[in-house]
Amino acid sequence: MKVLDLRKLVLVNGALLVLLILSAAACTLLGPVRLDLSQALTHLFSSNADAEILLRARLPRVLLGIAIGGGMAACGVVLQALLGNPLACPQMLGVSGGASLGGILGIIFFPNWLLPIAGGRLGEISWIPLAAFLGALLSMILVYRFSLFHGRLHPYHLLLSGVILNSFIAAVIMFLNSIVDFYQAQGLLFWLMGSLSTRAYLTVGFIWFYIVVGFLWLWSKGLSLNLITLGEDAAMHLGVEPSALQRQVFIAASLMIGAMVSVSGMIGFVGLMVPHVMRLLIGSDHRLLLPASFLAGGIFLCWADTLARILLAPAELPVGIVTAFFGGPFFLFLLYREGRRSLAL
Amino acid sequence: MIRPPRFFSVRFLFAALVFFLGFRSPGNAASGSIPQRIVSLAPSITETVFALGFGNRLVGVTNHCDYPAEAKRLPKIGDFMSPSLEAVAAKRPDLVIGVGGATDPEKAREIARLGIKITLLSVSSVTEILSSFKRIAELLGDPEAGARLVVKTTVQFDKVKTRVAPAPRRSVLVAVGLRPLVAVGGKNFLDELITLAGGENIAGNAPQPWLNLPDEYVVAKAPQVIIQAGMGSDTGGSARHWSDLKSIPAVKERRVYSYNSDKILRPGPRIDEGLEDLARLIHPECFDPANSGVFKGSLCEGSGP
Repeated sequence: MKVLDLRKLVLVNGALLVLLILSAAACTLLGPVRLDLSQALTHLFSSNADAEILLRARLPRVLLGIAIGGGMAACGVVLQALLGNPLACPQMLGVSGGASLGGILGIIFFPNWLLPIAGGRLGEISWIPLAAFLGALLSMILVYRFSLFHGRLHPYHLLLSGVILNSFIAAVIMFLNSIVDFYQAQGLLFWLMGSLSTRAYLTVGFIWFYIVVGFLWLWSKGLSLNLITLGEDAAMHLGVEPSALQRQVFIAASLMIGAMVSVSGMIGFVGLMVPHVMRLLIGSDHRLLLPASFLAGGIFLCWADTLARILLAPAELPVGIVTAFFGGPFFLFLLYREGRRSLAL
Repeated sequence: MIRPPRFFSVRFLFAALVFFLGFRSPGNAASGSIPQRIVSLAPSITETVFALGFGNRLVGVTNHCDYPAEAKRLPKIGDFMSPSLEAVAAKRPDLVIGVGGATDPEKAREIARLGIKITLLSVSSVTEILSSFKRIAELLGDPEAGARLVVKTTVQFDKVKTRVAPAPRRSVLVAVGLRPLVAVGGKNFLDELITLAGGENIAGNAPQPWLNLPDEYVVAKAPQVIIQAGMGSDTGGSARHWSDLKSIPAVKERRVYSYNSDKILRPGPRIDEGLEDLARLIHPECFDPANSGVFKGSLCEGSGP
């Protein structure tokens, strides 16, 4: 195993961080409606339309997009390492299905319930993300139980039980969708497609905190993840206890994915594609790959959401369509280039 | 013991009369092409058939058909978007009426393949809704009922139009969902109803009938009235949802309403009532009896005698 190249770590991540900050600024300034920045800044805290567009409609959305994009990409990296499967992605674990089902039950049974935080002083948050997170937790426990034999998580069972649970839940969701009334069904479908639309800084703050803690923990396991990709036996010889690491990483990633899906629905493709793109660009040392993927995922989703707001203005596209539409061809191009290069050696 | 021949002949004639009358009666129905067993594939169609006075001919309706109350008791043939073919066929209908663009066209073809007459009516504009009244009445053999319903609806429309005519137009957002925000776009009969009610749809230039709007668009368009339709029973939810965007005039002036009714969401015979409800929400001052006289400011100037 190569020694971590500190210079590369700082250079790559520094560049990506600058790019992320520039993207965040650009995405906050871009949108389907014109924003008069000087108006917004002079009336920052009064009820001015430009200020509200900047601070209420766009900024929380951009911040949420960065957190979700980064979190999804980081989870994708560790899941691909953990399961030893290039197709592994956050949508595969069953957790996202559980979160969707929880959220949908929330929409059907208590669509407008609000939970006051700190006695209402900090505002109120919708119950729907909480229901979704509960669904994510339950499905995580289910998948975990079905894949744990003699104290070891088996990637094969993890992958299959996750996929099966997801398709089972998809059937339950379609069933619910066909028994609720017409307008509710429309709402459910829109929710399932995922959206970063939010004005609640409380939710954004919570997600940021949650994802940053989860990410830092995963990053601290970067070296062990490097070893585990060499194979379980090799990892064991090099001092990593694979079974403990697998359990911890699975739980950490599941908790992160559950929280993300609870807030933004299922936004596909970021968690699958960004890790592969970054691996092709900077290699697969997880100590470098994890932060780089986090930053790149944030940049990617931030722009995808901005395009989702602009492309069909005034209508907003589901952001998942944009991620797949622009991410897919780019990924195929990189894959082809890499294949040609490695076979030419 | 001679029977009077006259008596015999009268009895014979009477019997013959009864015989022929009895024979003629069902023959009449069978020979004419007027459908007696109708299946409706949309709530709006069910409402129209009832409004035309032919509710007794309905033998099947969708799970969503709940108006008028009698419709709830009718046999169900499945969902609005995807009716059950078997359930439709089992009702042995001589006419099935669906809505173009909503009824699954594949299902419609299969119903036709079973030899059942099926008509799909387009109801995506007010004109089309009115002609659907006429068309259904014609299909049911009573064109005059259709004409009467059209007149009744247009008279109601005109009443509302005259009411709100003096008032300046207000910009309006009509939404059916909050998370995400699904709004009425152009190419939707609701967009026309908003205009008729003296409003101006802020998403009226969008080519889609329904669209997901970003919050920033609503802030930039600054609607004067926000109407939340088709939601659950929580009437405060909509006002709470917008309460942090104080630059929107509708929020500032407390003109955020929840309007929980199928009247405006169903392209059927209750759109005239729906239009009046919309007008009352957009221009309440035009319906205030105290305002029938002289008026200050930009308020409605009264509808006159």
